[in-house]
Amino acid sequence: MPDGTTATESMRAAIIAALPRLRRFCHAMASSPADGDDLMQSTVEKALTHCDQFRAGSRVDSWMYRIAQNLHIDRSRATRRRGTVVPVEDAYDLVGDDGRATVESRSELAAAQHALSTVPEDQRAAFVLVVVEGLSYKEAAEALEVPIGTIMSRIARARGRIERALGGDIGALQ
Amino acid sequence: MTDETEERLAAFLDGAMSTAEAAEFEARLSSDPELAARAERWLANDRRIAAAFAPIALAPVPSELLQTMGLGEPTPVASAPSAANDNPPWWRRHALPLGGAVAASLVAILLLAPPSTQAPKRDLSFALETGRSLTPVRLADGSSVTPTLTVKAADGRWCREYRRSSTVGLACREAGRWKVEAQGAGSGPADGSEIAVASGADGSALDAGFARLGASDPVNGNDEAALIRDGWPAR
Repeated sequence: MPDGTTATESMRAAIIAALPRLRRFCHAMASSPADGDDLMQSTVEKALTHCDQFRAGSRVDSWMYRIAQNLHIDRSRATRRRGTVVPVEDAYDLVGDDGRATVESRSELAAAQHALSTVPEDQRAAFVLVVVEGLSYKEAAEALEVPIGTIMSRIARARGRIERALGGDIGALQ
Repeated sequence: MTDETEERLAAFLDGAMSTAEAAEFEARLSSDPELAARAERWLANDRRIAAAFAPIALAPVPSELLQTMGLGEPTPVASAPSAANDNPPWWRRHALPLGGAVAASLVAILLLAPPSTQAPKRDLSFALETGRSLTPVRLADGSSVTPTLTVKAADGRWCREYRRSSTVGLACREAGRWKVEAQGAGSGPADGSEIAVASGADGSALDAGFARLGASDPVNGNDEAALIRDGWPAR
């Protein structure tokens, strides 16, 4: 691009700023921490090499969520074709003050990831953007390029599936 | 339950309804125990999943990953999510005035009152019990309180500093209730402060209170989120 250096630098800064949340989104979408980081890496790679496709005035984080979701859907299709089974309970290296807290976080994470794994990808993306990433329906609709009503119905269905997956197990909440 | 009802419930929980729609739905919730029970389960599941993933966005992205992606060394920007977009998930959506006041009353029912025996009370205790630091919580009387940090007193109680219009305060949790331990003027003019204060800096008004309590360093956002989630267990 003509003013390549500046644009790339500010884009890089925006990507770096969005990275922790992009990583969380990728981990929530993927079925293991390793797959989550892998998805994040591919997303960043694609964002860096396709800066020209970013619409000025829109949000870099929404754009990256969209790239991640599209990559994730492509990968899930490929995985289903190959029939690969992916383990859910890889060890996470989470910040924890003591061993007990870390173990609790890990099992909570495994439970959350299991519940999400029962939700179809398009519903999962809507749910994760709103409930985990804190986007409004409007922001989620823009990120996924679907109408707001679609976000609402996907989230409602996702919650129904999650309710069945978690069942009466209220875990560490109470 | 019909798809439409489920969608209405989702929109209600996510603060995606107008104030009038939300009030109407809330009335329906109070007359439909099955629907209310479902709302409770959905909200609990949301909170659980959001809490499980929260630490990932708070942890710095490992530097080897940054390097693999050609983004170099971690910078302060990379490890501190930007305030504008790091929307804290459930508590923001249920505690902020964006039509969330109605949803907040649902949270109050879930957290503080035995189901359907008592009107929800959005008071200072509610804000301190459920609000995350630096996120304003609107109260029933229309005012708002912003918890500012969480510490542990030497006697083991959890204590929180908060800001309420022009005053700052320090309250500790004891037997399930929050007790104000100290108050002072914040950045605004002093009004009825109980402690002699230096004007200006928000925190200085409470220094004596913090010292008396033998307060720890503030807990990090991660631990605070867990305390809120778990109902402030003694640790």
